[in-house]
This record gives sequence, structure tokens and C-alpha cells, in this order.
Amino acid sequence: MGKHSRRMLAETSQKGTALAATLFLAPALILIALYMIYPVIDTFVTSQYQWNGISADRIFIGLDNWKTLLQDSKFWASFSHNLVVMVFSILLQIPLGLLLATFLDSVGRKSNIFKIIWFFPYLMSSVAIAFLFNYILGTNDGLFTSIATLLNGKRTIVDLLGKSPQALFAVIGVMAWQFTPFYMVYFIAGYSNISTSLYEAAIIDGANRRQYLFKIAIPLLGPIFKTACTMSMIGSLKYFDMIWNMTQGGPAGGTELMATYMYKLSFQQWKMGYGSAVAAGMFILITVIALLFQKVFVVKEDY
Amino acid sequence: MKKILVLMLALMLVISSMAALAEIPELTKEPLTITLWDIAPEEPNKSIQEGAVQRFMADYPNITVNQVHQQNDNYKQQLVVAMSANECPDMYIHWAGGPMAEYYKSGFVNDLTEMYNKYDHPDFIDAAVAQASYDGKVLAIPFGGLSGCDIFYNKTIFAEVGIEVPTTIDELEAACDKLLEAGYVPFALANGSKWTGSMYYMYLVARHSGNAEFDAAYDGTGSFTSPAFIWAGEKIQEWVKKGYFNDGFNSMITDNGEDRMLMYNNTCAMMLHGSWQVGSVMTDNMDWYKANFGTFRFPEDTEAAAAGVPQNVEIGTAVGNAFSFNCWKEDGSVDQEKLDACYVLATQYYSDDQYNEEQVAVGRTPSIKGFDQVEDENMKVVIDTFFNASNVQLWYDQYLPASVTEVHKDCMTELFGLTKTPQEIGEMQDAAMAAAREG
Repeated sequence: MGKHSRRMLAETSQKGTALAATLFLAPALILIALYMIYPVIDTFVTSQYQWNGISADRIFIGLDNWKTLLQDSKFWASFSHNLVVMVFSILLQIPLGLLLATFLDSVGRKSNIFKIIWFFPYLMSSVAIAFLFNYILGTNDGLFTSIATLLNGKRTIVDLLGKSPQALFAVIGVMAWQFTPFYMVYFIAGYSNISTSLYEAAIIDGANRRQYLFKIAIPLLGPIFKTACTMSMIGSLKYFDMIWNMTQGGPAGGTELMATYMYKLSFQQWKMGYGSAVAAGMFILITVIALLFQKVFVVKEDY
Repeated sequence: MKKILVLMLALMLVISSMAALAEIPELTKEPLTITLWDIAPEEPNKSIQEGAVQRFMADYPNITVNQVHQQNDNYKQQLVVAMSANECPDMYIHWAGGPMAEYYKSGFVNDLTEMYNKYDHPDFIDAAVAQASYDGKVLAIPFGGLSGCDIFYNKTIFAEVGIEVPTTIDELEAACDKLLEAGYVPFALANGSKWTGSMYYMYLVARHSGNAEFDAAYDGTGSFTSPAFIWAGEKIQEWVKKGYFNDGFNSMITDNGEDRMLMYNNTCAMMLHGSWQVGSVMTDNMDWYKANFGTFRFPEDTEAAAAGVPQNVEIGTAVGNAFSFNCWKEDGSVDQEKLDACYVLATQYYSDDQYNEEQVAVGRTPSIKGFDQVEDENMKVVIDTFFNASNVQLWYDQYLPASVTEVHKDCMTELFGLTKTPQEIGEMQDAAMAAAREG
């Protein structure tokens, strides 16, 4: 076989690879284009119309919806709630997740039962969680009301969901309950990626477990922290389901998030055009915040 | 002269007999398919409504009805999505009010006025026809039965404290004070749902001004800050401050039965609620129902009555559920063949004797004249209130345009929560209404 034919063979196989790659990627690409890229573009297009969502005539109004959006105090109030949720989600979920993961990692197999129990909330559907916590936080013999009544000796109502700003923090607490297990598993995976030889080397060098944990293991989890924070951040900025089922944004907008506001506008108030502007605004805000966050972290790592 | 008189008499006889024998449209003999959306995936509604469709298809074997049961929870969104994709069903359920107007304005509702006047239909009560109409046009055929709004109370507690059923708002307040003294909370309220608090607001406005001030606020000639609204708002806040409502009401959800629970454990003595509560309490505990459950009409405002304000404007829905039709040809003209079939199905089968019998058996009252005879004493109060009403105002949260509904509901949280004054919530509702009117 000469050089020529070998190249031919290589070329054919390269062509074959390209074809196979195209074939294998096509379904995913088509789905992404159809269900992600197209809707995003269409959201931006729809945001320039005055449209009730069903009527055949959509009125083109250019950037009017966007001007309204910039001055819409309700939207910015929702955004600020999102920011509060974001900060507290990161402050609660990730340290708690790390704590639980560290416990499970250091105890080892004996703690498997805890692993299962602690992971459980993450497996529950948001609707079920909302229902459950409506009772737990409820004023009608809910957990907190019952405890307060017991301690006080007379009927004492703890109204967590009916007043602002308690309602927002109550919801943040429930979100932490729901998502901490996810970060726990994430950090467990991180720990198991650290080679045992590092641990052995550290012990031989005379480090105790505490030193190993704080000086070696946790610093090695760095990249995982970054991803976890980004995920928690994006998750809190676009959060919808549990809040919707628990408070619908109430009391009087006290737990309104950008996504619930968008949903109300689009599907309950016949403002599909303006709802799309809110959705597109959300998209921009989330992208900008996520990019900024990445940038800051990358710089820090370079030091 | 005599001849003409005789002729005229004869003519009148013919006309009146024609009216009595009002016809139904003759339906096509060609194959035809109707797509119907309802929200009856569960019993007993499922078999009642499927029964109506089956009887129709037995009588018209060439017509197929494709009956789709949607889930109630996301039905409204699903309908909106279907409409926007131009896949709106030929016949679909809704609750009248603001959304019906929106469907109509967007071209998804056939105007039935002419057919309704020409062809046979159940003898609906006036309030039902009014609520199924918009802009003077009949747009829907009711089929779900009516729901009133009344005060339900614990007879045992009333007897123990020694109070009579109040007939005026002053008497109601006196009764509440007595209940408070005896250690009971007068009203059970789960205002996390918001439309529950709205019932107090609506009724106080109706008793103080009939329909006049609400209608004016609605069409823009008046305002949600007019005297009756301010009076109602102040009354509610006064009642909240005096402890007429249970603590923590703003986070309680009525769909979870949290207000009924407060009645069952003897914390509260009354609640203003929709008449479907009668059935719910029966299902919860029949013994408790028989021993304790009573009903009375929302008390009257003596001052307003003296000033000539009608005291029989009631709150509720005369329509319950209604069908609208969406039958058009490719070129945008009415598909009369299909519309006739839909009309016959809705008017002749969703209200035939068997359908109505089955409805009554599960505790509903068809909004048709002659159905005011019920045995249950609580339902009797509900029905009498309804059938004696001069006007039935549809729930604000269904009657108002959707964007105003949202504001109205938030206002109820703020009003009962004492975080906004009646004047402030009036202004908020005015602003929302003005924005909605602009479109």
C-alpha cells in the first residue's frame, strides 16, 4: 500500500467521521435550535409588539415595551427580590451542602443512611414541597405556630407567609431545604475526585485531619465552588415553580420574582408582548450577571 | 273593524304558539366532527358531561364529538396557547366575565344573539343570560349551575351565645361583639386566596350602593374611591382591628379547607363564602353538617336602604361554566353548519332532563327557571337569595379585566393586612382599570 492510498484512506475515514459527527449531533442541534434558540429569538421579536397572546392582529410598537420595562417599579422590585434570593441561596445552600458533604466524606460508609435521608428533599417535586410547607409554615396549627403556642402557653400565631418581608425569607429557607442536597452530592463527588495519595502524603508529612481538610481538600474544591455558585446564582435568578405554588408572588407582591411576574403578565393578564419583554429582560440580566461573576472569579484564580 | 280584530287575534295566537314551539336548527346529514374542550376529567362531572355528548351522538350519528377533558389547573393557559397557535377548539368551557370578553374581541367566539332569539334554549334566569353576554351580545350557553355567596354559621354557637340571625349590618356587628366576648372569633377567613376577602368587599359595596358605584367605577364614569368603596374598605379594616377575623388569615389557603377547619374546631362562628361550601361541608362531615351548619343572606345596610338603595343586589355566578363556540370557515365567515350543531349540543343536551337531574343530585342548581325548589335548608337560603335578586354581580375577580383582577386581589391582601388604606387601594384599582380601558 503506497502513501497515496493511505492518505485516501485517512481522508475517507475523516469524511466518515465528519458525517458520523453530523449525524449524531443533528438531533441535539435540531432540538436546541427548535426549543432554545428559536424561542429566545422569538421572545425578543414578540417583545416589540402589543399583543394579548391570542388575537390575530399584533400591533408593532417598537421599543415601547422596553421603555415601560425600564420604568416598571414592579419589575425592578421583582428583580431585587431575585437578588436577595440569590445572595441568600449562595450563603445558605453552598456552605450547608459543603458541611453535610464533609461530614459524609469523613464518616464514610457508616453514614450512608444520612446520605439517603438528606438527599430526599431534592427528589421531591416542587409542587409537593410547596404544599407541604404551606402547612408547616401555615398559621392554622402549622409547625411554627404550634411551637410558639406551646412555649407561650396561649394561642400564638406566627404568620410567616402572610406578611412582608418575612414571606420572602421563609421562601428562601424552603428553597435552601430543597437545593442544599444537590450541592451536598456535588461536593461529595468533588471530595471523591481528590486522590487518596494526597491524603496519605499529607498524613505522612504530619498534617492532622483538620489541617488536611482546610489546607488541602477544601482549596482543591475551588473550581467546584465556582460552578456551584454559578448554578445557584442562575437558578435563583430564574426561579419559578415552588414560589408559584406556595405564594403566587404574594402577599401583595412580597415574594414576586421576575419569572412569576412574567408568567402573570403573559398568561393571566393578556399581555404577551410585555410579558415577552420581561422574559427578554430577564435573559439579559441573568446573562450579564453570570458573565460578570465568571470574570471576577477567573481574575481571582489568576492571582 | 271586527274582521281586522279577529285577524289580529288569530295572528297573535299563531305567533305565540310559534314562540312556544321554538325550533331547533336542522343539522347537517353529512359527516361532521366537533372538537370540545371541558374540564371534567374526574367524577362526577366526567360521566354527567360525557352522558350529554353520548345522547347527542346517538341522535345525530353522522356527527362525531371529540370531547377532550383538560385539567382545570392549567386549562386557561392551555386555551390561550391553543388560540395563539390557531388551534382553538370548536366549543370550549369558560367562566364568562373578563376572559370571555377577551376571547370574543380576539375573534374566538361566535355571536349567538340571533340564534338565541330564534331557536329553542333552556329558560335561563335573567342573571345567567346577562353574565353570558358582553356588549349586548349573547356569547355563551351556561351549563354549570349557579353559585351564590352567603354567610354560613355555626347554629350551636349562635344558640349558646344567644344571638339571632342578623338581618342588618348593625345587628351583624352586635352579634360579632357578643361572639368576641364569649371567646369566639366571628369570621373564618382564608385570605391567602384573596378572592375570599374580596367577597366581604364586594358585598359591603353592593349593600351600600347596589350596582351603581361598581358599574360607574368599571366604565370610568365613577371611581373605586367613591363613597361605597371607601365605606366598605373602612368597615373591613375596622372589623380586622376589632378582631372579627382569625389571626394569620393572609397566609391561609381556602382550597386547603383552612377556613372550614376553623369552623370545625369551634374557633370561628361564621364565614362568608361561595355556596359550594355547603357540598364541601357535607362531604367533610355529614353529622357536623346536620348538627351545626346554618346559612343566612348577607345582612342589609339600613341607612342605604332608607336612601333607596336596593338591598337585593347579590354576589355570585349565575353561569358557573358556559360554552362558547368558535366555528369559522377558512375565509373567516361563520361556519353555520358546525355552529348549529354546537348550539344544539349545548342547549338541548347539556340541559336535558337527565343532565339537570344528575346535576341536582350532586348538589348543583341549574341556572334555569323552575329549579328553585330544593329540600336542603341551607341550599334553600342560597337559592332563594339568588332567585330573588334584582341583579347578580359576578365575582369581581372574574368580571374585571384580567390585569385589574391581579391588582384587585393584591389590594385585598393589603386592605385586610392593614398595609394600605381604602383610599390607596381605590386609587390602585382606578389606575389599573384606566390602563385596561386604554387597551
